[in-house]
Amino acid sequence: MKLTVNGKSAEVEAAVLGDVLRHYELEGKMVVAEIDGNIIDKSAWEQIGLTEGMRIELVHFVGGG
Amino acid sequence: MRDEHHRFSRQQLFAPIGEGGQIKLSEASVLIVGMGALGTVLANHMVRAGVGNLRIVDRDFVEWSNLQRQMLYDEEDARHSLPKAIAAKHKLERIYSGCRIDAHVSDVTPGNIGELMDGVTLVLDGTDNFQTRYLLNDACFQKGIPFVYGGAVSSRGMSAPFLPGDTCCLRCLLPESAGDGDGQTCDMIGVISPIIDIVASFQVVEGLKILVGDLERVRRSLLSWEIWDYHTYEMKLPAPRPECPSCGRREFPALQEGGSDVAMMCGRDTVQIQGKRPLDLELWKLKLQDAGEVSANPYLLRVQLIEGERLVLFPDGRVLVQGTEDPIRAKTLYARYIGM
Repeated sequence: MKLTVNGKSAEVEAAVLGDVLRHYELEGKMVVAEIDGNIIDKSAWEQIGLTEGMRIELVHFVGGG
Repeated sequence: MRDEHHRFSRQQLFAPIGEGGQIKLSEASVLIVGMGALGTVLANHMVRAGVGNLRIVDRDFVEWSNLQRQMLYDEEDARHSLPKAIAAKHKLERIYSGCRIDAHVSDVTPGNIGELMDGVTLVLDGTDNFQTRYLLNDACFQKGIPFVYGGAVSSRGMSAPFLPGDTCCLRCLLPESAGDGDGQTCDMIGVISPIIDIVASFQVVEGLKILVGDLERVRRSLLSWEIWDYHTYEMKLPAPRPECPSCGRREFPALQEGGSDVAMMCGRDTVQIQGKRPLDLELWKLKLQDAGEVSANPYLLRVQLIEGERLVLFPDGRVLVQGTEDPIRAKTLYARYIGM
């Protein structure tokens, strides 16, 4: 499926948001996920179905300082 | 009028600050936790802007690998292994003698956070770990003090202001259960200095607005940057969650936890052990002279052990065991030389 992930178009085999996180190996990491500008609660990652062209932003929290 | 009276003139000409804002800055009291890369940039800006009172806290000492990005330190500081809080205070006092700088060589724990935040009007995040950030978040939201988060690693960084009674808190945005630290520390995957300046400078912008009372114009978003493979993103801060254990239910979990006596310093090949008693460095210099090569400055004592690891003793009772990531091994060496 064609998606825009972190500003770049990407072809990802994904049915739900959780699949995208697994694709980028971000499962279990400190990540906040947005679809089309709305934060999606982690509890809904496996329920939210994806459609072509969705803009997904995976914000991976940065711990260093 | 002496020239020094003009030192803030360009900042006062900037209308949103003005003379009134400058007076507020001179009366402000800011706490910066962590005097590494972000912390030194934050402190430099605060002091040059004319903040009247600055409290800085750091548990570490200056090493050569810090000089690439930790802008207040120089080769002399690394050569003498000066504690960062002390080296920073010396440098900052030369920049602006009108700022009262209160330096603490210490860990920040549930036990001392109350005292460190006493009288403070703003907390800036210069830490390198989420455990301390959740502690700062909880203490700030309990006391109603604004907290400006910043983080940077590799070529990535982010920053967000959290305002008690207004925005969500760090826990609302990123629950502690969201995931664990994943080894992406500056000591593991590196960091380039421009991302540090970018993140810290954006923290300072929001900090200045808060200090001069221009709360309306505080940016209520999380900004993130990837500066090598260029991408920026701005995420609107969500509303506070009523079920948040910190700002919603006001349980402030990080303030309830008893601090552990053993802390891993992630990616640093170092374990920190917090002893119960202060350490008299003069005395320990004599006691440990047969354990290995001993070197000291007024703030810490280093022992290169014959086993290969290195001990660093601080007067507040902390001991860093360098050269291992195994807490059991660290405790064994601690027990062998310091005693449990």
